[in-house]
Amino acid sequence: MSSLQGYVDRRVLLILQDGRTIVGMLAGFDQRSSVVLSNSTERIYSADEGVEEVPLGLYLVKGDMIMLVGEIDAEEDEKIDLSELRADPMVPIRY
Amino acid sequence: MADVPSQGVQEPFDLIRLSLSERVFVKLRGDRQLTGVLHAYDGHMNLIMSDVEETIMIVEPVEGAPEGEGIVRAVKRNLDMLFVRGDGVILVSPPSRT
Amino acid sequence: MLIFSVFKTLTDQEVTVELKNDLCIKGTLKSVDQFLNIRLDAIQVLDEARHPHMMAVKNCFIRGSVVRYVQLPTSAVDTQLLEDATRREAMNQNKR
Repeated sequence: MSSLQGYVDRRVLLILQDGRTIVGMLAGFDQRSSVVLSNSTERIYSADEGVEEVPLGLYLVKGDMIMLVGEIDAEEDEKIDLSELRADPMVPIRY
Repeated sequence: MADVPSQGVQEPFDLIRLSLSERVFVKLRGDRQLTGVLHAYDGHMNLIMSDVEETIMIVEPVEGAPEGEGIVRAVKRNLDMLFVRGDGVILVSPPSRT
Repeated sequence: MLIFSVFKTLTDQEVTVELKNDLCIKGTLKSVDQFLNIRLDAIQVLDEARHPHMMAVKNCFIRGSVVRYVQLPTSAVDTQLLEDATRREAMNQNKR
């Protein structure tokens, strides 16, 4: 289970199976890929409004709920104006 | 069990084993089906196939038609070498012997 | 174990992972584990216009359970070897 090792103490994007996206600092994980995020915020996407950011703080997500964890490139992330971004939320996992 | 010949179908997975390197039909969840040459499988029905044609059935709703009914459209796609995760597999069917 | 081993031989190859929500992510396979969780580097989301959520993400961990397909480079797969290994594993399974 080496796969999440490199992400500890990095800022990550978490996509959940229901399509929600959360960004935060990866504080820890276990062998079932449950993760703890610190200073996390949910990014709520919408087709007709900019991205809404909701602070969540310290957050534990069970491994079963996770679709994907991505390392955020801080420079690239700063270039994005979330208030101008229009997009449908990520599609939830069905089958 | 020791005298059972290695050929022949004793249990379901034997049928898949005998289909190795043959063209098989695979039905998947999500109204998908595949045909392709089977190269590997495991106990989860994870598969590795080549020369795959995928067909997805999409039901397009028609105005006035009852919920769940409409025009069925088949979308096809070709993939060279494909790993298929076993949890989506409904059935694996060997090539027809006719 | 067989499929896990196959993926291990494919590290550093370019693959396309298709998720069960139709999202396609292309990238370099960096590692896999026993659950077939996948680490991809230098990722590129297909149809990025529709999925801008991952614009600032360069590498990612994909949970095995959300994977539908992985498109593999044909040249990196020895099909004869695969079939032999599969038959061998099936035999061992029967003995147990």
